[in-house]
Order: sequence, then C-alpha cells, then structure tokens
Amino acid sequence: MHNTTPPTTNNPFDIFVIGARKGFFIATNNLLPNVLMAYVIAEILNITGAMKLIGVAFGPVMGFFGLPGEAVTVLMTTWLSCSAGVGIAVSLFAKGLLTTTHITILMPALFLMASQIQYMGRLLGVADVPKKYWPFLMLVSIINSCIGMLVMRFFV
Amino acid sequence: MGVENQSSDEWKVGVGAYIALIFAVLFFSGLFMKVDGMAWLGALDFTTLAGKFGTMQDAKSTFVGSGGTSAKGGFLFALSLIPTVMLALGVLEIFSHYGAIRAAHKLLTPLLRPLLDIPGRTGLALITDLQSTDAGAALTKELYDEKQITKKELVIMAAWQYSGAGLINNYFAIGSALFASLTVPIIMPLVLMVVLKFVGAMFTRLVLNTLYKKDFVNA
Repeated sequence: MHNTTPPTTNNPFDIFVIGARKGFFIATNNLLPNVLMAYVIAEILNITGAMKLIGVAFGPVMGFFGLPGEAVTVLMTTWLSCSAGVGIAVSLFAKGLLTTTHITILMPALFLMASQIQYMGRLLGVADVPKKYWPFLMLVSIINSCIGMLVMRFFV
Repeated sequence: MGVENQSSDEWKVGVGAYIALIFAVLFFSGLFMKVDGMAWLGALDFTTLAGKFGTMQDAKSTFVGSGGTSAKGGFLFALSLIPTVMLALGVLEIFSHYGAIRAAHKLLTPLLRPLLDIPGRTGLALITDLQSTDAGAALTKELYDEKQITKKELVIMAAWQYSGAGLINNYFAIGSALFASLTVPIIMPLVLMVVLKFVGAMFTRLVLNTLYKKDFVNA
C-alpha cells in the first residue's frame, strides 16, 4: 500500500508534500470508503436491533476491559480489516455508543490484532512461516490485544 | 536487495538521526500542547498543528453538522479526517527522511538477542515491518532463504511482525482518524504496542522452547 522508496529530494518542504500526498491518497482511497461502509453497517445493525443484542450478549466479556458490549464489533471488524475496524469505532463514537475513554482503551487492540486474515498471506505466507504455527501466532496477537486493552484501562 | 548492502551504506546513523527520532517522539507526545506561557511550543505539537475546522456563523457544529447517519453521515465525517492524515504522513515522511527510523533500528538491535534470542541482524527486517508489512515479510524470507536465521528464529520474528504489522504507518495513516478522541498522548498507545510486540514474541519464544520443543531438536 505504501511507497517505501526514499524521496529523491532533500528539500524538507518537498518531503512534507510527498508525505501529505500519500496521506491524501490513503484518506480518500482507503479511509473514506471504509468509514462510509462502516457507517452503513452500523446503521443496519441499529435499524435491525442487532447492535442492541450484541451489546447485551457481549456486555459481560467486554465489561472486563472497561468497554460496552457493542465494542466487540470494533474488534471483530479490525481482525478482518484495520480500516474497517477504525471506521466502526468512529461511527459508534459518533452515535455516542463509545466515549473517548472507550476509544482510548480500544486503540492498541485496533492495531495489534489488525487485518490478520490479510496479513496471513502477505506476511506469514510470504515469509514462509510453517502453517503449523499460524493459529498460534494469531492467538499471540489476540493475547497482545487483550493485554493492551487492560493496560490502557489504567491510563484513561 | 541484499540486507548486507543496505545495512552498510544507507543505514548509517548519525547524531541527526537521533535528533530526528527525539523530535518525532516529542511531536506526537502532546507535551508541547498548551504549555502555559509558552504557546509558541505549539508549533512543535501535532494536535495544535492539526488545527480545527471553523463553524458556520452562530452555529456550534463544523461543516460535518450533527445527526448525520449512514452513507451520507459517514462520507462527511470521513472528509473531516483527511487533513489529520495528511499532516501525520507529511511530518512522518520528514522524520523518516532525517533518519528517525534508522536511529530506532540502532537502538533496537542490542535488545534482540537477550529478549528474543534472535540475531541482531534481523533488526532491519523488524523495523521495516513497522513501516511496511510487505517489505518486512520480504526481508524476513530473504534472511531465512540465505540460512541466516533458523526456523525457530523465523517463527519468533513472525510473531513480532504479525501482531500489529505495519504499525507505524497504520497507526498514523488510519488510526489518526481517532487521534482527536484519545484521552492520552498520541505517542502512548504506539509505545505500548511496540512493547507488546516484544511481549508477544517473548511468549512465542517461551512456547517454542517448551510446547514445541520437539520441532526444533535438529535445528
């Protein structure tokens, strides 16, 4: 997704502009469509009442991390796609279902368990990691996320 | 692209690189935000420089408005995120250019053997993963193909890379959408995540040395 070749210019203004341009492309090509999709999904979950059910069902588990049950949708989505996960978090925040405290607790988990299905191919597959260890590595990421959320509870 | 060639020339770390790293950390730390009597320090603070949208006359909300829902609500909200992402990646590009990443690499390398029991030369692949998952994966494969690392070391490296892959770029490019909602300095979750990458990889090292011990008897 990112162009990692070093810029050929030494002018700091040009370098900033190169980065800002990357930012614009990511924001418009990646973030915007994902946020839009996340808002639509959140709306569907709301209208059908599914969000309420999820909130009740996962309330106890997520409560352990200081989060409302609905926050589980953020984690499930980021596991599939980081941008979509952030999008869901943003839309739940806009709806008032998540507060700034909740967002702060979720922040490390949003990335530590991000896009795992995608990265299975792009990272584990490419690096030739024996498939036998893939489920274990996935578990490590989820454990990392849980520790991350617990640690953040003490900082918010 | 050989790892060796790259580490010799392009990866030299001077004083400037460390200064760039310190500046990068301070810039995203929020320490310079609203310092009493020294408002000018805000010029070195991410949140201050991100600024804010104006509002319509006599109105409270920005152009995003209030009460927007679904596709239309999401679209306008996403539009309001674009400047933060542009600023974040713009300054990140500058800090990287002046060697902040190289300095981090230099600081990371001596930790690898004691913490993860992997050779210091794997540091480049790990630090590259922070910026690009794909480049990090390619460098890791190269190390393994050239027999510079064993299978066990490969799995430990993969554990470090897989959890929070592409961390720095993802955090600033995608996560910046949530920066305004954080109650802690922007840099704090990032530091925690890097620490947890080590925790996860150390846990992996432990499990490979116990539960999966048989797999590596001949390695």
